[in-house]
Parts: sequence; structure tokens; C-alpha cells
Amino acid sequence: MATADPRTSKASEPFDIVATYNDLLRSDPDLTMPIAAIEALVLLLTHSPSSTISETLDLLEKSTAHLKKSIPNPIGLSAGTDLFQRYLITTLQRPGQLGPAGDFNAIRAHLLSNSRLFIRRAKESRDKIAAFGRGFVRDGSTVLTNGGSRVVASLLQQAADEKGGPSAVRFNVIYVLSSPKGDIESPTAEPEGMETVRALRAQGVPVATIPESAVAYSLGKADVVIVGAEGVVENGGIVSRMGTYQIGLLAKAMGKPFYVVAESHKFVRVYPLGQYDLPIEQHVIDFKTQEDVDTAKQQQSKPAAASSTAQGLNSEFHPDAVDFTPPHLISALITDSGVLTPSAVSEELIKIWF
Amino acid sequence: MANTADPALNPVSSPPAAPEPASKQSNTKMDQPQSQSQPQPQGQKAPKPAKPAKQQQPPKDKNASAAPADAAGSDKLSPAELKKKAKAEKAARRARERAEREQPGGGAGGAAGGQGTGTPAGKKGSDAGAAAAASAKGQKGIPRRGSAQNVPQSAAAELKKKQEDKNVAVFGHLYGQQRRTTVAGAGKEVHPAVLALGLQMRDYVVCGSSARCVATLLAFKRVIEAYTTPMGTSLSRHLTTHLSHQITYLSTCRPLSISQGNAIRALKLAISSIDPSVPESEAKTTLCEFIDTFISEKITVADQVIAGSAAQKIKDGDVVVTFAGSSIVKQTLLTAFKQGKKFRVSIIDSRPLFEGKNLARTLANAGLEVQYSLMNGVSHAIKDATKVFLGAHAMTSNGRLYSRVGTALVAMSAKERGGVEIPVIVCCETVKFTDRVALDSIVVNEIADADELVVTQPPHQLTDLPDPVAAAQPEPKKGGKAAASNPSPTESNTASNKDGSPLTDWRDTPNLQLLNIMYDVTPAEYVDMVVTEMGSLPPSAVPIVHRMSTNL
Repeated sequence: MATADPRTSKASEPFDIVATYNDLLRSDPDLTMPIAAIEALVLLLTHSPSSTISETLDLLEKSTAHLKKSIPNPIGLSAGTDLFQRYLITTLQRPGQLGPAGDFNAIRAHLLSNSRLFIRRAKESRDKIAAFGRGFVRDGSTVLTNGGSRVVASLLQQAADEKGGPSAVRFNVIYVLSSPKGDIESPTAEPEGMETVRALRAQGVPVATIPESAVAYSLGKADVVIVGAEGVVENGGIVSRMGTYQIGLLAKAMGKPFYVVAESHKFVRVYPLGQYDLPIEQHVIDFKTQEDVDTAKQQQSKPAAASSTAQGLNSEFHPDAVDFTPPHLISALITDSGVLTPSAVSEELIKIWF
Repeated sequence: MANTADPALNPVSSPPAAPEPASKQSNTKMDQPQSQSQPQPQGQKAPKPAKPAKQQQPPKDKNASAAPADAAGSDKLSPAELKKKAKAEKAARRARERAEREQPGGGAGGAAGGQGTGTPAGKKGSDAGAAAAASAKGQKGIPRRGSAQNVPQSAAAELKKKQEDKNVAVFGHLYGQQRRTTVAGAGKEVHPAVLALGLQMRDYVVCGSSARCVATLLAFKRVIEAYTTPMGTSLSRHLTTHLSHQITYLSTCRPLSISQGNAIRALKLAISSIDPSVPESEAKTTLCEFIDTFISEKITVADQVIAGSAAQKIKDGDVVVTFAGSSIVKQTLLTAFKQGKKFRVSIIDSRPLFEGKNLARTLANAGLEVQYSLMNGVSHAIKDATKVFLGAHAMTSNGRLYSRVGTALVAMSAKERGGVEIPVIVCCETVKFTDRVALDSIVVNEIADADELVVTQPPHQLTDLPDPVAAAQPEPKKGGKAAASNPSPTESNTASNKDGSPLTDWRDTPNLQLLNIMYDVTPAEYVDMVVTEMGSLPPSAVPIVHRMSTNL
């Protein structure tokens, strides 16, 4: 919090929750979206002089809505904001000194201190998951994974780490790297996950990198698929990086177990019925004729001719695009509250919400 | 008694049955005494049947002539044949004794059979019954079939059995008692409001799980209002038993729904938790308030919440398929329409209740684009569907949907056709959740009166053609009448009405069973989402929510 304070005090007059959230995400590479959202909300509460419960809740609701609106993909984020809001409400409704009858300032102080504890715990959950998930990486097995999930990385690293457990597991990794995306800022940026690949190789784990088009080809050599998730939805499916769904389908077709690694604060109260039922707008499929392409080019050539190719790529494929992997493709979810079947997710969610 | 001799001599299975109708017509009355004095010498008996056989119609001449020939043959029997016959007699006696043992009221059965043969239909029935008996007992042996004195009696027994067997065997456990037809015989404790409600439920005037639940609770509210605690007992103790009478009455009108059961359980719990020291009027007010809260919380407001969240799932350009007439689905569709969404509704309906008709009318009146088709057209209706919305009678603890029969078919068609692309969404209040488990739709179900399947309004005939059914019937009464008074359309119409449905006399038609089942079970794999007032769930989460909503 110490690092965040100066930054936020700078913008303290009207507290900008969106900027705070983005800053938090950028400053700490280990931070996940829901936790960043919760942290931003905690900062908001410390900065705003609310004096009643309803005022606090109202403020929270407004800034949450604002935050959700200004972020292109608020699924992961909403897990955090929902959780925090729920936590606040249950704390406030609890009878006793900290309940509605108590002193509000005491309640506020309690809430804030507890929220920080909550954040710390959430960060620790990654280690917990790694401990649960170790058993899924067997000696001599080959793991296929994708994306830049930090939980997956920590799980694999811990499995390979000789100090972490009784003995290191010897395993191979097939890392699916997404084709280079048209990132405007650095078109030659390395694909997501390269960092993990380097770290694993440094630990002595043999890693093969393959493009997304080679998943079906390589899956025969893999024993298990482990992927991360941006959000775990109510029916036990996951919202994850574009390309996870097809890996899931292929794994199902080939009879390979498909495990998802996710912290339980990524559970979201969203119930998508299919790919196009996600509560976000994604323009992944964009039909164009040559005419459309030409007019788009003309418009682009006016501001910056150099980045036109990159722009063209970018509009075709948004780097943050996600897809939805339905629950029947998932063998199990490895979370910090244990290894769950997809159908147990809704049970966990209900427990949190009621 | 030609039959007695016949089969013994030529043990072929089919010919003996053929001459029966003619011979029996004259013989049935003599059957009983004769079968009692069975061990008669064959020679005396044999000639008798020759006479009726001779009266037979020309087409059956072959058989008829065969019978006398046999009879003549029996006059001069070879020792071997005599021995054979004696053996047959013995076997027949044994078989008859066995039949009598099987049917304790054997005599009564025979009498009933005798009466039955008076009417042509009854006779037909007994004939076929005999034939069926012959084919069914075929393995047990020719000797038994040969014991033809036995045939009429065993036919009568069979007839009686057949009459009982109008229940479809697999669902035999569901028949139970007949639904109450009048209020006669209802206990004096039963409140008039409950009496009326019972009949309304029986006639499907009050139909649908939620509607029945609400109506029951409202009726019970009136019961409680009219209730005074008798001397020497407390309200919390006596009111429960008083309500039990009402409940028993209601369940004789139509088996209680899961929602009704849950509501009653909640009400009883509320009654029993009333402190005996609370004055009666106060306790009654509390209970009435409880009922009102229950209705609004569990059904009225719950429906609004469900309609709201289910309507969110409807997108512009959707084609929503629904089955029969669920009130909550109706509310959902209307809510989505009010939100300005542009979608089409395709209603699939089925006999005999046609619950979808009301839904179609309401939605069309509201301005929605509605397509109405019967179950037969389900594959066409599902072709352009994008979503399926279903109502529920209950959700079981293994996540299965228990709903109006046909629901499973619609859900399955959607899944088989579209897989994940056509999501099947169930709208269901948590009051309909049950901790029971349904593996199939046989163990738990409801059987309605099979006559509901029979009654149909034949399509009004515009062309004045003679009714093919009536014309084809060789029966002198109707056929003659129809032919004679053909010009009068009303008469031919009534005639065709009488025979309009070939099933009208299904109870007297042998080998015919009618099944009017009310519900079926949709496997959890066919359901993508259950929308409840506590949020959207996968079907696997039903038991958790049920546990929570009952423990709160």
C-alpha cells in the first residue's frame, strides 16, 4: 500500500479508480485483475470520507460500475469487485459491535484492515494452488500449456523445483505460444509466456514451443493439459485467453485430461451459454470486402501511415480477446480451496454469495 | 361343444378358434351346467355342436363341415383314440381346477362372461380373449387347449383379467385410486373453498405447478380464517390435523405437486412453531401473513426475478422454442418483449391438454411473433431455434427436470440438433426443488384419466360424403341408418361422432391399453441452465440450493 499511496494522493481530489486500477496492474506483474480491482476499491475507500454504510455501498457501486465500463474486458475484474462488495455487505450485516449498530469509524477501520489481509491471502493462494497441483504433474509426463498464466507458471516451477518438495519431478513441457500479435507499441514483442519458458528452461525443464496451429499435432505427445483462466464462471466453465477453447476441444477429442488452474477469487457470477453470450463486446469475427479494407486503409493512412499494417492486424485480432471453455471439456479445476469438478464451482460460488 | 372334440382330434392351434363364435352363441348359456357335468361320455356330447355349426355363414363352411366330420369320427373311436381322449379329459379337468384356483371368484367370472356375451362387443371380447388365452398358454400345452369346455370359462376369466389390465403394466404402481369425481363422500371437515379447488384442479381449471401451489395456499388461508380451535386442544396441534383432512381431499382430486408439498410442509412447520400461549386470533393472523409472504416471496416476486434474469438471455434475432404453457416462461418472454428485444417464439404443444394454446394467444395479443405447432412438428420447429425455454414441475436432486410429458423430447431434439449452440434453459422457482431423485419417468409420475386421450372433436366435415367409418361397418343398425337417412347431414354426423374416435370403446377392446402419462424426466445433460430466483445454476447445483433454501 505504501507504494500506491503517493500515486493516489496525487490524484486525490477526484479519485480516479480506473487510473488506479491500471497503475496497480502495471506496477505489479504478479497482480491478477480481481485483486487489482479489490485493491483499487480499498484505496478508494481510504480516500473517500464516507460516514454511513449506505454512502459507502453507494460509492462502491458507482465506482465499480464506472470501472467495469471503462475496461474492455471486465469479466476478471468483476470477480474481484463482486467479492469485495459481498464481503462488505456481509460484514456490515453481521450483528455485534461491527454490525449496523456499531460505531461506523470502527467498522471502516476494521473493513480496511481486513481487506488488506484479504489481498495478502489472495496473493498467497498461488502457492497453495501449486501445492495442490503438483500431484498432477507426474514423473516422465509431458504437460501442454498455453498463455501467460502466472499460476500455471508457478505450479510448473514448483513442480520442477527440487527444494519445493520431496523430490523434483522430471517432466517435459509443450508451450503453446500465440502467434505474434500486432501490438501497436512494440510490433516485435515476444509472445505471451516466453518469460515462463525461459524460467523453466533455466530450471532444467525441457520446453518445446509450438504455434497454436500445431496443437492438434502435438497433443498426441502430451499426457496432460494445464491451462490458466481469467475467470471461472458459474457453470464451471472458464473464460480464458483466445485459443483455450480449441485446446479444450482437442484434448476432449483425444481423451487427454484438461486441468484448469485458477485462484478462487477468480470465480465470477456470470453464466455464459456459449461463446457469443459473454458480457463483453469482442470483434473477433469481422467480415470485410476489399472495399471496406481500402476505406479503412485510407482512414488509417491519414494519422499514421507507418503503423497501418499493425493497425490492420490489431483490428482483426484483439490481443485481449477471450473465449469460453464449457464445463464438459474440463476435467478438474485446481484452486486454492482444493481440486474441484466443474459442477462444484457453482457450489463454491453459492457459498460465497448466500 | 364341438370344440371339446375338435382339438383333441386334430391338435392344430388355429382351426378350433375359428368356429367358436357361431357355436358359442348358442352354447354359452349351457356352458356352466355342462362344464360341471363334465365327465360325460364323448359320444353323446359330440353330435350337439353339429347343429350350431351348420348354421354358420357360408365362408366358414369349411370349418363347419369339418366339425361334423370330426363329430362323426368320434362316434366310432379306435381304442387308441379313446385313450387319447381320456387323457385329454383328464388334462382338461386338471387345467380347469387350476384355473378355478387361480381365479377364486371363478363362478362370478363365468357369470360376468355370460353377461358379457349378451352384447356383441362383449362377445367379441371374449372370443379374442379366448384366442389370446390360447396363444398365451400355447406352451403349456395342447391338452389345455383341447379342454374346450374350459374355453368359455377361461375366456371369461381372461376377460375379467383383461378388464383389470387396462392399466399399463409398467406404470401399474401409479394407478392407485381413481380420481374423485364428485364432492360426495368428502369429509365434513373439508372447507368449501378446498372442495371447489379440488374439483378445479381435477378438471385442470387450476393447472400448472405454481398456480396449484398458490391456489392451495389461498384456500388454506380461508380454512385458517374460518378455523376455531376446539375445546381442549391447542391451535398448533389441532390445526395441523384439520389441514390434513383438506390435504387428503385435495390429493384424491389430483396428486399433489412438488410445489404444493413444499408449501404445505412450510405451512405445517409455521403452524407447529406457534407458541400455544399465543391467542388464537393472533396466531391466525400470523399464519395468514405467513401464507401471504410465502406466496409473494417464493412465487410472485421469485417469478419477477426469474423473468428478469431469464429475459437477459434473450438476444435480438433469437428464435425461442418453448413447450406447452408455462406461466414463468410466458412472463419471461413478455418481459423480454417489453425490453424491446426482437425475437420470435415457437410454441410446441401436445395433446390432450393443449396448454400452449393459451400461451400462444397471450403472446400474440401482446404483439410477439408466434409460431404454434404440435409435438409432431418438433423437428421442424427446432430447426431454426436458437434457444429453448422450458418450465418445470419440479427439479430433482440429481439435476433432472421433471415436467409436462414431452419436455424431454423437446430438450433432446434441441441438444441432438444444436449441441451447445441451442442452449436449453429451465425457469424454475426454488419452491419446486425437491430432494427426491428421479432416474426415470416411471417410478414417480402421475397418470391421468385415459379417457382424456379418446375424446376428440372430429374436424367439421364440410363435404357431405358418407362417413367412411360408418359405411365400412357392416353392422345393420348404423350402416343401414346411414345409408337410408344419408341426406340428413346431422344424423350422419352424429353417427360419425359416435364412432368418430375408434378408441371410444377402448375399455371393451381387448389387447388395447391407453396410457395418459402426465410428466417425464429430462436428463441433466440436456439442461444447460436453471434460472431461479437465487441466480442461474447448472442443474448439478440444484441440491445445494435446495438445501440452502430449506435450511434458511
